[in-house]
Amino acid sequence: MKRLEGRRAIVTGGGSGIGRQSAIRFAREGASVLVVGRSANTEETVDLIRAEGGLALAMVTDAAVEANVEAMVRRCVSELGGLEVFFANIGVTGTNTPLLEQTVEEWEEVYRINVISCFLAIKYAGRHMTAQRYGSIILTSSAASLRANAGAISYSASKAAVNNLAQTAANAFAGTGVRVNAVLPGLVETQLTRKVFEDARARGVEGKLGHVTPLKRPGRAEEIAAAAAFLASDDSSYVDGQLLSVDGGVSSTHPYGRIAL
Amino acid sequence: MNTRLRDRVCVVTGAARGIGLAIAERFGQEGARLACVDVSARRLEPAVAELVDNGFETRGYGVDVGRRDDVQAMFERIESEFGAPVAVLINNAVWARFQPLAEIDAETVDRMFACGVSGLMWTMQAAAPQMERRGGGSIVNLSSVSAFYPAKDSIAYSALKAGVVGLTRAAAIELSPKNIRVNAIAPGMIGTPASVAQFDEATIATRQAQMPLGRFGRPEEIAALAAFLASDDGSYVQGAVITADGGWTVAAK
Repeated sequence: MKRLEGRRAIVTGGGSGIGRQSAIRFAREGASVLVVGRSANTEETVDLIRAEGGLALAMVTDAAVEANVEAMVRRCVSELGGLEVFFANIGVTGTNTPLLEQTVEEWEEVYRINVISCFLAIKYAGRHMTAQRYGSIILTSSAASLRANAGAISYSASKAAVNNLAQTAANAFAGTGVRVNAVLPGLVETQLTRKVFEDARARGVEGKLGHVTPLKRPGRAEEIAAAAAFLASDDSSYVDGQLLSVDGGVSSTHPYGRIAL
Repeated sequence: MNTRLRDRVCVVTGAARGIGLAIAERFGQEGARLACVDVSARRLEPAVAELVDNGFETRGYGVDVGRRDDVQAMFERIESEFGAPVAVLINNAVWARFQPLAEIDAETVDRMFACGVSGLMWTMQAAAPQMERRGGGSIVNLSSVSAFYPAKDSIAYSALKAGVVGLTRAAAIELSPKNIRVNAIAPGMIGTPASVAQFDEATIATRQAQMPLGRFGRPEEIAALAAFLASDDGSYVQGAVITADGGWTVAAK
């Protein structure tokens, strides 16, 4: 399957989880990938891609800082030869501190990483892509953006902002050939959710994870990557400003259980 | 080309033309075995011939999906003729008229809902046991942006397409334990001859100018989305309604 042949993609949060699997999937579909992450595992993702014969570069940097985002777009264009796909995928969970005790500092940090990073991706990838009149920008949102009790409050609110950014940016880019969409994962084992999975394993209730979803299981990072690849490719050429839920059905059905987080 | 649907028996209703035919074509390219259904056997014949010419294993079934007994019998025939249970069902068939409230008549509404709502229940009812026997399946129902943002003279059509959303999500809950996924696609304006014929040129130009992507969609673009949902690439997508409208409905005006 080579729907991204000749394309150049940036994937942030690429050192693990959804970002790593998406970078691998994009490369399998023919893309050259600039893998961005904050730690050494970014290099591991690149090694995995190269081991399969793919082309990838690593960049270790904070993708929520303006100068860094500008630099990664510049580097992708200069070293990989262009930029057609930007998957803005970094995120933090926030804390489950009781609402009345939460601090502005926590909210600012959650918004900086979850929302401002997406704005910056749209700004800098958008400048390049609107000029070439082609591109696909994908933002990682969450099922928590649509419903309560699927994540921390600051996290849920920040992801709702990401949804709106996908819609407003798609509209702002009207007539430019640049599409902006969000993918909304449900519960998936990643660096962000590792504690949930480890706690469940420690208590011997791993089988209960994801049991509130109709599919009765958590998702796999590869399944989110498949949706991201669809949105990155021309298979989604008429999909713009959309929120694509990949959550086993949890957001579209009657809430009939509480999610343990 | 991709082979994400290799060897899977895929039923596509309303397959004689437009979006249905484009879906059959794309699924064929991805390796599917095609059971094409249309109310008109005469209209279906050239479509099936074209698909066979393209090298796809294809059989045609001239059946009205609004008739429960006929649908049940057709699915039994499909399983026996393909020698395998159905893996994918695309509910695309629809019959619609657009009338202002005062002119809506019972015969029109009955016929619309028989095909576009009840028909989906009959096909799902017949397909689900076959999917269960093979360990799972994927059902994709065609809704419309009209379910959420109705256009003029579309009271019956909007109700019908909103009905598709409800039955899709309800079926997702019920069929999940059988590992059957049920999702819907909500296309915006797709430039099929049938849809374009409804509008004059000025209306078409106005509509296209309202869309961030600036144009009507192509049937192939809906087919690509259907292929994603039908294949294992959509394995964690359940009960979702995915709009493909060129961004038409993201703006307030």
